[in-house]
Amino acid sequence: MTRRILLLAGALALGAVAFSGDRFWLQFLGKAMIGCILAMSLDLLVGFTGLVSLAHSAFFGLAAYALAGVTNRLGLVNPLLTFPVCLLAAAAAALIIGWLSLRATGVYFIMVTLAFTQMLFYLFNDSPALGGSDGLYVAERPVGSRAAAYVAIWAALVLAYLLLARILRAPYGRALEGIRGNEQRMRSLGYPTRRYKLVAFVIAGTLAGVAGYLDATLYGFVNPAQLGWRRSGLILVTVLLGGKGTLYGPALGALLLAFIEHYGERVTEHWNALIAALVIAVVLFLPRGLAGLVQGGRRA
Amino acid sequence: MPEPLLLTEALTRRFGALAAVDGVSLAFEEGRVHAVIGPNGAGKSTFLNLLSGELRATQGRVRFRGLDVTRATPDELSRLGIGRSYQTANLFPELSCADCAWLAAQSRMPSSMRFFRPAERYAEVGDRAARALEVCGLSGRRLALAGQLSYGEQRQLEIAMMLATEPTLLLLDEPLAGLGHDEARRVVALLTEVARGRTVILVEHDMEAVFSISDTVTVLVDGRVLERGSPDQVRNSAAVREAYLGEEIA
Repeated sequence: MTRRILLLAGALALGAVAFSGDRFWLQFLGKAMIGCILAMSLDLLVGFTGLVSLAHSAFFGLAAYALAGVTNRLGLVNPLLTFPVCLLAAAAAALIIGWLSLRATGVYFIMVTLAFTQMLFYLFNDSPALGGSDGLYVAERPVGSRAAAYVAIWAALVLAYLLLARILRAPYGRALEGIRGNEQRMRSLGYPTRRYKLVAFVIAGTLAGVAGYLDATLYGFVNPAQLGWRRSGLILVTVLLGGKGTLYGPALGALLLAFIEHYGERVTEHWNALIAALVIAVVLFLPRGLAGLVQGGRRA
Repeated sequence: MPEPLLLTEALTRRFGALAAVDGVSLAFEEGRVHAVIGPNGAGKSTFLNLLSGELRATQGRVRFRGLDVTRATPDELSRLGIGRSYQTANLFPELSCADCAWLAAQSRMPSSMRFFRPAERYAEVGDRAARALEVCGLSGRRLALAGQLSYGEQRQLEIAMMLATEPTLLLLDEPLAGLGHDEARRVVALLTEVARGRTVILVEHDMEAVFSISDTVTVLVDGRVLERGSPDQVRNSAAVREAYLGEEIA
């Protein structure tokens, strides 16, 4: 109960920032909230289904590139058109990559998702037509003002949380929990588990696409690094830092990382080492992540 | 003679040069308890794994209600009505008894791909899970984590989960293995209760239990059927005595 109130208060506080009109905070927290969406959606796979995917950044990047593509080449600007098109691109990619990767399990699954991410990275990085290593500008952003983009990000974060929490409480979410616990037994109980995992992969990939679309909207720019595997690794670290299998934990982790990145940069240029030390400390002493400190119930 | 529910035709499974199950043709009639016994390495577990889809047959066929299910996967077989329990506890250690039974019961929904209505509102699933727990004497342990149950209770939960899937054919893999005397007696009583009016294929080591609850007994040796008949026939068979080489037969 207290957790719910805290979450609600946090969400309202983040929403209120939209009225400040402060350029820095809108940009900074907008980016941080995009990180929250990424981390929560990856948590659906890592924390709730037991699938460690390194392809999450691929769907993020693909949606961002899709926005640049439809805007620059087809002249589409209206978000009512570009948003569904970009999500569809991310979802389709998740369906194909997921369908192939889920033929493998365990560490092989991780490696296959990594390989796909690398492939896409080099595809964009090495193709001048796709912007090459410099990336692409989005000729005209779907949402003009920074405040409007911020509100869109905030709304997406709230909706993504509500959607995921809802799914996890439904029979489908229970089945995912069972697959994480003992997939072989789930099969013998009559669940076609691979199909369940694929659906989770597509849901998570589509939400990563939402994050990518919003990122390109906020910055008006996309580059290959956003879809490289380093980015995937960072999202994974965020999930572990925040506490996998809790949904709000990874969101907390994303906010914390954003702050460390920003203020750490002022203190030392080796702020990445700070993050690394923090991650090691959390993994060793707080196996349930930051959420372990807040811990209430076991479900999101 | 009742119609056989399950039929195997020259069912064979090889591991390299070894034929663990070698041309087994058996009919399992509806409403009876069929025991499959045999010395260690006789192929009993392999046979059961072929029936539940965990292993693929090298040759031969399995028919369930006349349907060829030789190539069916475990989840397809489960939804056709073949339930199984495992010899070593194969549960969800981090979930409570109630949640384990829930997952089993939920598998009988036309599809669990339901994304919006909270699971607990599916009352019929909860009822089915609760009934299965009650039959297996676990009503008082609903909130205990599966991983923290005693050996005997884990076996009871195994059976509860199987029952919650409302199977027509029950495959039981050594439900008494590793249990102490008292625990074993409790599980035998439970099995007797569960077997009433159901079709059961029971792989078991404990002869006393086998002879007391089975209608037919099949003896496997080296992957082949050595003998088949009523418990009395099998008990008195010279071939069976020889195969067990002095091992005590009830």
